[in-house]
Amino acid sequence: MTARAAHGGELRRVQWRGMGALAERETLRVLRLWKQTLIPQILVAVLFIVVFGIALGERINDIDGVPYEQFIVPGLVLMGVATAAFANNGTSIYQARSDGFIEDPVSSPMTPGQLLSGYLSGGVLRSALIGAGILLAARVFVAFPIENVAITLAALTAAALAFASLGTVVGLYARGWEHQNFVGNILIQPLVFLGGVFYSVDDLSEPWRTLTQFDPIYYLVATTRKGMLGSSGVALGLSMGITLGLAALMLAWAYVSVRRGVGIRT
Amino acid sequence: MSASGSQTVPALRCQGVVKRFGALTALAGLSLEVPEGAFFGLLGPNGAGKTTLIRGAVGLTRLDSGSIEVFGLPVSGTTAARTRTMLGYAPQEVALDRFVPVREALVLHGRYFGMTRRDAAARSDEMLRVFDLADRADSYANELSGGMRRRLHLARALVHGPQLVILDEPTAGVDIELRRDLWEYIRRLHADGTTILLTTHYLEEAEALCERVAFIRDGTIAAEGTPPLLREQFGAGRLEEVYLRLVGR
Repeated sequence: MTARAAHGGELRRVQWRGMGALAERETLRVLRLWKQTLIPQILVAVLFIVVFGIALGERINDIDGVPYEQFIVPGLVLMGVATAAFANNGTSIYQARSDGFIEDPVSSPMTPGQLLSGYLSGGVLRSALIGAGILLAARVFVAFPIENVAITLAALTAAALAFASLGTVVGLYARGWEHQNFVGNILIQPLVFLGGVFYSVDDLSEPWRTLTQFDPIYYLVATTRKGMLGSSGVALGLSMGITLGLAALMLAWAYVSVRRGVGIRT
Repeated sequence: MSASGSQTVPALRCQGVVKRFGALTALAGLSLEVPEGAFFGLLGPNGAGKTTLIRGAVGLTRLDSGSIEVFGLPVSGTTAARTRTMLGYAPQEVALDRFVPVREALVLHGRYFGMTRRDAAARSDEMLRVFDLADRADSYANELSGGMRRRLHLARALVHGPQLVILDEPTAGVDIELRRDLWEYIRRLHADGTTILLTTHYLEEAEALCERVAFIRDGTIAAEGTPPLLREQFGAGRLEEVYLRLVGR
């Protein structure tokens, strides 16, 4: 028997096939576990719209000339996208590490970038389905515009990538489920709620108004709101810059973590 | 012809391999060659460095110094991906993807290692037959018995047709019947020309299967040779006696 290692174009095909398989595995996981991965977050967003928008919304004045039930929709979509992306990658990667089967793709010929792309695909798909689901469900209760599809898609895609990457990092570093829950519940959830999903930051008194401006999710919500409703109270250049910058930063962090083999290689 | 184009390079060559975990030195300048086509046993007590060495070969452990080559190609740096296409690895602990059924797990593994969907499916069906798992193709790993899980674990390492198969204690904790079955599978694999590197605690297993063995102790190779040669060198009737003399008992 003669030993033969793939090289050149053949090796690249081998690696891309590997990435495709990992991406398929991650997306199938999302679709097969739809009762856990999709329905709860869409339901929560719809309940927020019904309770805060419909039931209580009539008692709340328009914000920046926008009816309250409309005002909260972009933030709820963003919240669903971000939390789903984080939860998906954190859970999938920590589970694979905890059970040990992550060593199967990690010991394959895939590059670190391809491994990361494969894992991110699940989080991005789950976010896309949840974002679309919330928009469709919200439409039943609230008439809202999407003024600029490109800005809306850019904001939501950047949010999905940023939080799927953060989930990847946490999934790699976590030493137990409690670490992951800690980041999700104690860090991300408060930042989302305090990021202007349910209120205009202009209505806050100091120091809360200034403090909110240090919350990166505030800018993600503002970019999404700008795309959907046409105004957000934050300059588009600033909010889009921070949105894309956050996505780039998180992607870089996840890439470096995978490349260094954090939580995978000893 | 080897992967690097030269004649008869070993399937695995480790030179001066050092790996430390804090104050613990797991590998202390270990050097070893596994010839192409060999059935090679790596023996030693718990903590001797066997698993660290083979995890280094498959890229799951980073070495502090020294080098490991697979068919003449370094396992780190720019040739790492190339070496992995030639390696099959079954870790000691059975670790199976609980979210996909048995057949799909095999197909996915083949595709991770670059097979086309069609080739991976055909090879997976072959593996299911060989490992007597065809009737459980649609089951999930957590629905299988311990023996079936162990067989699936081994089958997965072989789907992509590796030229060097590294088996880390493949029969640890299995009953005698399954152990004999696994021996048979591994023998057939070797007969087809695959190089096998096997770690085991069971010295009778090494005696029955391996053409050549190396005893690893305190992170270095304490003795190496064919079982008859080692028995002769140590004046022992069995490898177990060789082992006991090496550990000073």
